[in-house]
Amino acid sequence: MDRWFLILATLLAAIGGVWGMISVHRGTRSHWTVVWMVAVLLCQLAFLSIRGQLRAACPLQDIGEILVFLAWSLTLFYLLIGTAYRISLLGVFSAPLVFVLQASALISGMLSASPKRELSANVYHSLHSATSVLAYGALALAGVAGIMFLVLDRQLKIHHLKSGLFRNLPPAHELLVSLQRLLWLGTGLLTLGIIAGFLMPRTTPVHSHLLIAMVVWAGYAGLLAVKSVRGLTGRKLALSAVAMFILSLVVFARV
Amino acid sequence: MELLCLGLNHRTAPVEVRERFAVSPTHLGAAAGDLANMADATEGVVISTCNRTEFYLAANDANKSLVLLEARLTERESLDAGASVHFYRKVKSEAAVHLCRVVSGLDSMMLGETEIFGQVKQAYQAALSAGTTGNVLNRLFQRAFGVGKKVRTETSIQEGSTSVGNVAVDLAEKIFGHLKDSEVMILGAGEMSRITAQSLVSRGARSIFVSNRSFDRAEELAREMGGHAVRFDDWQEVLERVDVVIASTGSPHALIHRAEVEKVRRARKFRPLFFIDISVPRNIHPDVADIEEVYLYDIDTLETLADEARVRRQLQIEHCERIIDAELAKLNLPGT
Repeated sequence: MDRWFLILATLLAAIGGVWGMISVHRGTRSHWTVVWMVAVLLCQLAFLSIRGQLRAACPLQDIGEILVFLAWSLTLFYLLIGTAYRISLLGVFSAPLVFVLQASALISGMLSASPKRELSANVYHSLHSATSVLAYGALALAGVAGIMFLVLDRQLKIHHLKSGLFRNLPPAHELLVSLQRLLWLGTGLLTLGIIAGFLMPRTTPVHSHLLIAMVVWAGYAGLLAVKSVRGLTGRKLALSAVAMFILSLVVFARV
Repeated sequence: MELLCLGLNHRTAPVEVRERFAVSPTHLGAAAGDLANMADATEGVVISTCNRTEFYLAANDANKSLVLLEARLTERESLDAGASVHFYRKVKSEAAVHLCRVVSGLDSMMLGETEIFGQVKQAYQAALSAGTTGNVLNRLFQRAFGVGKKVRTETSIQEGSTSVGNVAVDLAEKIFGHLKDSEVMILGAGEMSRITAQSLVSRGARSIFVSNRSFDRAEELAREMGGHAVRFDDWQEVLERVDVVIASTGSPHALIHRAEVEKVRRARKFRPLFFIDISVPRNIHPDVADIEEVYLYDIDTLETLADEARVRRQLQIEHCERIIDAELAKLNLPGT
């Protein structure tokens, strides 16, 4: 049953993405993107809730669950930020990423077919996993906003202003404000995740993935500090947000 | 009862003729009543803008009323018989189609402009309040407003900006979003920069700084726009704080070079900077555009963008006319 909800969420994300792309290509606003993404979120919640009941713990025990949790947090932040800041096109850019994450989770071997019940679930372990993946969701969305800014910046620079995409993209300033807020949110959540990581029971003094997470945290904190104190061009901030998210995925490879 | 329209606009009459028939917004209702009496008509609405004056009437015999109205107007304004070439005359369904074209912006000097919709609405409201409308004109105008809205929603007749000033303002909004936090500096107090700056202010720009070789002229323009005058030697200091720079001086060489902008980048914390160069020869060196956070548009680029929007609108005319015909065909409007 859980897998069916995930398949449905993946199909809805694909439809939402394609629908949005077609609208953008035609130069019209995709009013349905939000609706598709709400449907995606509901299916993701159903999937995670079933897995959570089976595990009797936060459903972040295998790589498939982590990918779906990440897709869920990306969708959630889009719905919170995208609709509040009139940047509905963010959904069109987020939907393909949600699709890729969920489709990857559906690959054989990623999701445990019979999830093991966690008998000794630790609260710090759950908090560490949940806040870290939520942080990645916010940082992924910051990367998406960064890509949108880079596209708009390029079009403004070369005076290519005729495309439907240009007409639909939100103003550069709004994209940068959203990007910064998502970076602050993601870094804040990552801080909580790392603190919880240090408090959870472990066999070795420090897990290697915690060390990498700290490096990632330092990178994002440094970026925000430079932006706040010295200032940074929109292009550099956006490029950094995209590059750092891609680099930070290394942490996943170490989980 | 038959519908008729007598009018003159920017295509048929020069300004010296148009101004004689212009009616101020406060007198539109009274003028509608007078015109209806003059033409032996039972209903009347007068539309008057800077580019057109049109009289819509409902009378028992449209052609007879047209002749009567034209003769009395020519006599009232002491025009010679040759003045009739400035008028256009529409009766029955032609008049209905014409009003729909006017409301949709298809008959405007700037194709697809939106202001005319509000102006016609104001004219109709004035006539309605003055009690000079009845069954024929009420249904006609209400239908025309519906058609106008449909044309604007279903076509791209109002998309894009068709003037250099509006293109610049649209670009500023694409960069900064709401302009309420944006500050603007004008270099050179010419007419073009004044118009562009005024468009920015009308869309909410927070403050304007005017710098000109003649400080008196800078002060004059700053006063007119509610801004601040800046001595020409001090414009670089203001560059630290502004978001938009409009350059339009008569200088034979570039005034703003890359080095000057580089100097203020740190102080600006690398915020976006939008340069609009509407001067010939150009006042801003093209190298400035190589700076990451700078967006530079010169007069040629802005004019090309305005031309492209005009062409796109032209291509929509046929589509708009099909909508008007289809919508009017659905109804059996009285008087047509």
